[in-house]
Amino acid sequence: MTATASTTTAPAWRRYFGWSTDHKVIGVQYLVTSFFFFLVGGAMAGMIRTQLLAPDSTLVSAEAYNRLTTNHGSVMLFLWILPVLAGLGNYLIPLQIGARDMAFPRLNALSFWLLVPSGLLMLASFFVGAAEAGWTAYVPLSVAGPDGQTLWAISVVLLGTSSMMGSINFVTTIFTMRTAGMTFWRMPLFTWSMLATSILVLTATPVLTAGLVLIAMDRLVGTLFFSVPAGGDPILWQNLFWFYSHPAVYIMVLPAMGAVSEIFPVFSRKPVFGYKMIAFSSLAISLLGLTVWAHHMFTSGMDPRLRVPYMISTMIIAVPTGVKIFSWLATIWGGKLRLDTPMLFALGFISMFLIGGITGVFLAAIPIDLHVHDTYFVVAHLHFVLFGGSVSGAYAALYYWYPKITGRRLDERLGKVHFAANFIGTNLAYLPMFLAGLLGMPRRVVNYDPRFTELNQLASLGAFLLAASVLPFLYNVIVSWVSGPKAGDNPWRAKTLEWKTSSPPPAYNFDTPPVVTEGPYDYGEAAQGSLAPSPSAAGD
Amino acid sequence: MKERTLLVIVLLTVALLAAGFWVAQNVNLMPAEASTRAALVDQLFRAMLGLAAVIFLLVEGLLLYSVLRFRRPRGDEGDAVPVHGNRELEIVWTLIPALIVVVIGFYSFRVLAASEMREADPIVVNVDSRQFSWSFEYPAEGVTSTDLHLPLGRQARFLITSTDVIHSFWVPEFRVKRDATPGQIAELLVTPSRLGTYPVRCAELCGVGHASMGLTSQVFVESEADFQAWLEAQAAFPSDPIAAGRALFGRNGCSACHALADAGAIGIIGPGLDALADPASAHASMHGADLRTYVEQSIVDPSAVVVEGFSDGLMPKDFGTRIPANELAILVDYLIAHK
Repeated sequence: MTATASTTTAPAWRRYFGWSTDHKVIGVQYLVTSFFFFLVGGAMAGMIRTQLLAPDSTLVSAEAYNRLTTNHGSVMLFLWILPVLAGLGNYLIPLQIGARDMAFPRLNALSFWLLVPSGLLMLASFFVGAAEAGWTAYVPLSVAGPDGQTLWAISVVLLGTSSMMGSINFVTTIFTMRTAGMTFWRMPLFTWSMLATSILVLTATPVLTAGLVLIAMDRLVGTLFFSVPAGGDPILWQNLFWFYSHPAVYIMVLPAMGAVSEIFPVFSRKPVFGYKMIAFSSLAISLLGLTVWAHHMFTSGMDPRLRVPYMISTMIIAVPTGVKIFSWLATIWGGKLRLDTPMLFALGFISMFLIGGITGVFLAAIPIDLHVHDTYFVVAHLHFVLFGGSVSGAYAALYYWYPKITGRRLDERLGKVHFAANFIGTNLAYLPMFLAGLLGMPRRVVNYDPRFTELNQLASLGAFLLAASVLPFLYNVIVSWVSGPKAGDNPWRAKTLEWKTSSPPPAYNFDTPPVVTEGPYDYGEAAQGSLAPSPSAAGD
Repeated sequence: MKERTLLVIVLLTVALLAAGFWVAQNVNLMPAEASTRAALVDQLFRAMLGLAAVIFLLVEGLLLYSVLRFRRPRGDEGDAVPVHGNRELEIVWTLIPALIVVVIGFYSFRVLAASEMREADPIVVNVDSRQFSWSFEYPAEGVTSTDLHLPLGRQARFLITSTDVIHSFWVPEFRVKRDATPGQIAELLVTPSRLGTYPVRCAELCGVGHASMGLTSQVFVESEADFQAWLEAQAAFPSDPIAAGRALFGRNGCSACHALADAGAIGIIGPGLDALADPASAHASMHGADLRTYVEQSIVDPSAVVVEGFSDGLMPKDFGTRIPANELAILVDYLIAHK
């Protein structure tokens, strides 16, 4: 079956269930598949938080608990956040730069179809004893675990490969397939963020893959790369792992930053403030992100002289991050704000990501890290970054581009219920964890000191609210797709290129290749006409 | 108008700084300060918390103000006044955070250097970790214990290692942790500054007993006299066989995984060891007539017989070489005495 056959003859809905090379179909396949895994990872989180309702609960055995935390983390990172953002990139990049499709459509399809078996492999590992060494898989523990640990390593290698294929596509497409007039400085900021992300994926992922192959070989063919008696070094794995896995945080948050950078100007009816600085800061975060990995290893025995440089490089990332946050605030300042659901989630993104960012500086400060490393403080921090940040950004993006993808509108009231529950739930679930960590609760424990009971019960309550908050979203997305009101081509009156074609777009995106003559966020220019911009505007 | 704006900005800045100062002075989120390092770390933490409060209130305040103030008037479909950027403002919000970061970085470095200063005459403690127990050895005094005892005000020099996977030695009240990595000996310096009993946690996931490894050992910070008395009591091996067995049970870390009422042990990783000979016990069907052989074999070769409901491979297999034969006999006598 060829791509053209599948896009022209099959009924519309059937294209989503088979091999298609249309980037829009693949994008939706990514979004739906990753959301399924989000629910799976969420179910694991539900079991974890139920176990932690009481300090000495025996609902879940210690062994099962370690398997749950390990796979909760792995599923959420590798099968939800990474692919949901890859799905958005897939759907949006060609549309935002005026291309017919991706540079390598078949590679694109392959990268999605690699995701499905890898995800099933990770879940299937529960039948042979799932991985239980944490998503960080520290050796020697991970070399000794049950068979599922091998399946886990293979699954993550395949997911990394899928991610690299996607990134090769994104970079090539952005460099070679921009339409006439789409200069780099007219590219929408989401596309900019995907470019920065893809560079990071391509640089860092091979290093993780190498490490995982070493673990798999130690387990399968008896090599001794990480065997201490044979002269192996457990710290080597930590270097290889974090060389990928710290940049992975930026891989997971940069696209979300890109998405909210699209939403703020549209819902403020103002140009984005400091366009070039936001684009540059994505690149800066991406490059600096490659120089900080060892801040995860302050407690694990590195050359003491190396600690301070890693602390400084980590703290410096707060600067480009701050540039973004202040630029967004300046974008909405003086605007004409519409608080539709995408905007609410984007505002929630700033509000919660800020907490993740600030606590990241605490973790970078070595004397504080030596206390809070591997505690619930870290759990709280990473969830504010990845749930308050990445997931809020992904929700904002899904609400914003849903009319583009389906041609229909989501119900606003359900959207606001979802936002409120998600916002309250996130803060309720993760704020108490900061305190638990500071007071002395380590992470990844099936039982805990009774002095932390109340904090854990609050966190569990927040987690249950988060679980419930998914229901109005799911209902909304499914029902609106079938019977939601028609959205029209450009319901938000946005100016980026993807809104200048029909919603949903035709097979090759644009009937004639568009020619770009203005920037992506030129709000107020034509309408204001004679009105001069405010005197303080630098006007780049 | 311009002057009024300036005044508002100055007043808000003063209010923000005052709020940050108040937070730094009054908000305490940490447990007791039981080491000299803890006092330094907490000073840094409170300073950063104050700065964080300023930034948090500034950003959330601007966000909330914008949402309330700049709403689209009903029916207004027009665009707002376009502003593309402002170079001075962008330089300001790049440089000020950069400056803050440099200050925090410098301060952190000072605290780190001060907290790792060597003091004269430290007490050396070898911290040996294994799945799932701590063992604290005082090499100069020839004492080994599963609880840690430290004299107040005298620097402890921990030499930390592991025999199996990575663990992490953490005393929250000391504000410091250090990974115990097999094949490495890591040094950690702590000067206890407050009498009391504090938990020893394991902070690195080390397997099924990870949680219990953070709940079984404690550190006792004592006066020099109490500490010396404890050392002497430990060094003298009890002559009473039951007391000797109880000491061996604790010293070898059995209590981390097994429950035994006489020793106050509540571990749940391995089978309980009360009433071994009781026909109702899970052990009854395993040992046949010879309880002594069964108990000894279970210590030396734990895979030979695995009690139903528990996993093989969790108990270290090297107790046969670690426990001298005479001590093994005392330990077995002690365990079977509880029928």
